[in-house]
Amino acid sequence: MSISVSGAPSATTAQRAANSPVQRVTGWLTTIHHATIGASLLVASALWLVVATVIGVVLGFDRLDASSAVVDAGALTQLFSLHRFALVFGVAAPAMLGLVVWSLPAQLHAANLSLSRLAAFGWWSWLVGSVTVLVSYLGNGGPGGGDAQYVETYLLGLGIVLVALALIAVSVAATVLTRRNGRALSDVPVGAFAALVTALGVVLTLPVALGTIIYVWLDYVNARVAFGGADLIDTWLGWVTREPHTLLVVVPALGVLADAVVRTARGRQPLRGVVLIGVGISLSVVASSATQQAHVFAPGDTPTGTLQSLVPYALFNLVPLLAPLVVVLLSLLALRAGTPGISGAFVAAFLGVGMIFTGLVGSAAMHLDALGLVGTVFGEATLVYVVYGAVLAAIGGITLHAGSVTGRALPDGKVVLVALLGFVATVLASLPHYVAGFLDQPANVASGFDDSGLVGVTNVIVALGHLLMLVTMLGFVGLVVTSRRADAVTDRYRVEQPA
Amino acid sequence: MTAPALTAAPTRRTSTVFVATAFVAAGASMLMGSMLAMWLDFRAKAPTRVASDGVSLIKDWLKRDVAIPEVAATTLMITFVIACVMAQWAVYSARRGDKSHTTLALAITMFTGLAIINAQIALWMQIDLVLRNDAYETMFYAITGTMMAIIVSAVVYSFVAMFRVLAGRGADHDVLRAHALYWYAVSGMFAALWFVVYVQK
Repeated sequence: MSISVSGAPSATTAQRAANSPVQRVTGWLTTIHHATIGASLLVASALWLVVATVIGVVLGFDRLDASSAVVDAGALTQLFSLHRFALVFGVAAPAMLGLVVWSLPAQLHAANLSLSRLAAFGWWSWLVGSVTVLVSYLGNGGPGGGDAQYVETYLLGLGIVLVALALIAVSVAATVLTRRNGRALSDVPVGAFAALVTALGVVLTLPVALGTIIYVWLDYVNARVAFGGADLIDTWLGWVTREPHTLLVVVPALGVLADAVVRTARGRQPLRGVVLIGVGISLSVVASSATQQAHVFAPGDTPTGTLQSLVPYALFNLVPLLAPLVVVLLSLLALRAGTPGISGAFVAAFLGVGMIFTGLVGSAAMHLDALGLVGTVFGEATLVYVVYGAVLAAIGGITLHAGSVTGRALPDGKVVLVALLGFVATVLASLPHYVAGFLDQPANVASGFDDSGLVGVTNVIVALGHLLMLVTMLGFVGLVVTSRRADAVTDRYRVEQPA
Repeated sequence: MTAPALTAAPTRRTSTVFVATAFVAAGASMLMGSMLAMWLDFRAKAPTRVASDGVSLIKDWLKRDVAIPEVAATTLMITFVIACVMAQWAVYSARRGDKSHTTLALAITMFTGLAIINAQIALWMQIDLVLRNDAYETMFYAITGTMMAIIVSAVVYSFVAMFRVLAGRGADHDVLRAHALYWYAVSGMFAALWFVVYVQK
């Protein structure tokens, strides 16, 4: 009797203590639970999305008038570089890996990630690294930076970010390979398979960039004869933030679409094996990333010369296109075979993968010598397409797995609206620069080009597109917050059954 | 007359540590592979000069007055073989439940790793390159320094594995298999570096 009397108040006290702000912060700092680590990555990527969209707006308005400048000309190189870093390593990579970390155990019916401490270490390292990069830019560092110490700080921060993402990827890969609950790899959800593919891609390509960073750093602090100064950093490392390498980072988007369509169609994927092959094709990008080459197709004087140019171009630019194309086409096939209903997850993922595909098609077109698009804003647009497409897919992924991870589902109708808004934002933020690319607007500059006519208008539309993406993100965050008051999902795993 | 029921085959468990080590080894291999590839690219693009025979043209990559300590470099390479044999011995001993030999094998692996580090430092002192003059020097120290960091990580792995065995986790064979795998991978990386940087120069 005395036990029950004394036990009840102590439990209440412990519960109150566990819910205190200090305890919650301490718990967050030390957690190794996949949902918290994944959510932290997703929230941090949302904050970086704010940075990316604000820079996009500033650059758009700065290029409205090529004769006057909003931003100091000396800082423009850094601002463009920061924009690319924010989009790839601030938004796309943590959003996709965060989504995977957040939802993977639920997809595999596992309690947690394998090597969850490694994933937690990766998350905190990524945070430290990305903040270090941001600080280095603020201190006049980064590519084109004038302060030597902050340029070194940039290289250090970028190196930490790359290692951190690779560590998270190792945890993800180990989870898929060791926690399948007896299922064959071909039987796991496509989302889990896509997570393995992206983890493989990250582990195999980011160390290549790390090796370059080591060379560039040692050269920068010493002779500066081999790799040049700060101005040439992007020459050596730019491939990391360009297509097709970015496809490796956003492969989980393909998994989200493939899983979401099964739920939407209320049926099975008729050609599931082909979907897995399609997702696996993404790994062909490792070849171009590992060789750090961008192959432009230029017809030669002889058929042999043309073939010598065409083969590497096709391997590095056309083959990766098959990945999103196969997944999109087979998603439509699954819809046709089933009895589809409205699904916010599907709409967001479908639009997202569509945008990624559009970006990759643009990248392939850019590498056609005859079009003369290299060095124009066309390249900026391809990156925005891919990254904002990944954001849309992340919205779809969160919606798809919210029920199984948090026990609270998101309202499909509102997610569809947010996804449509995001789609419009993505198109506005990138399509005009496709047009401006054909009109020869140079990349990475805000002056010295003809801003009359359509070119000036495209830059304004792009700025508005970035602003709209910010609104989209805020709208989705609002949805997630309000969904916490929604009814609990009855069966946590009803959406995670293998197709 | 019924056939006896077959017993279920034991479930084959995939080791998390082994898989993770394989991924880390793959990442480290890509790191070294990319650095070697850039080394070869820079060497291929280096200007030419007349060789010591006064006739043939060679790449002006390794400066005329720089001598690679080949004895030290080859000794380093051979030492890796010893480390791999010891790491595999640890796996063999652990399978037989022989804790003392497992510990001994891991200790020898670790000290062999320390010997490798010592030899690498000795090589740096012998070659006596100044890190301020040209691309070769920068890239030499970058690539060998990165290799050194990877070797240090292998030594730390050996120490942790040995500590686990001493603490009574000797039956956890997966860690020892993963440890051996890592040493094989590191040896492979060094073999590539040895051939490109110290033999081909």
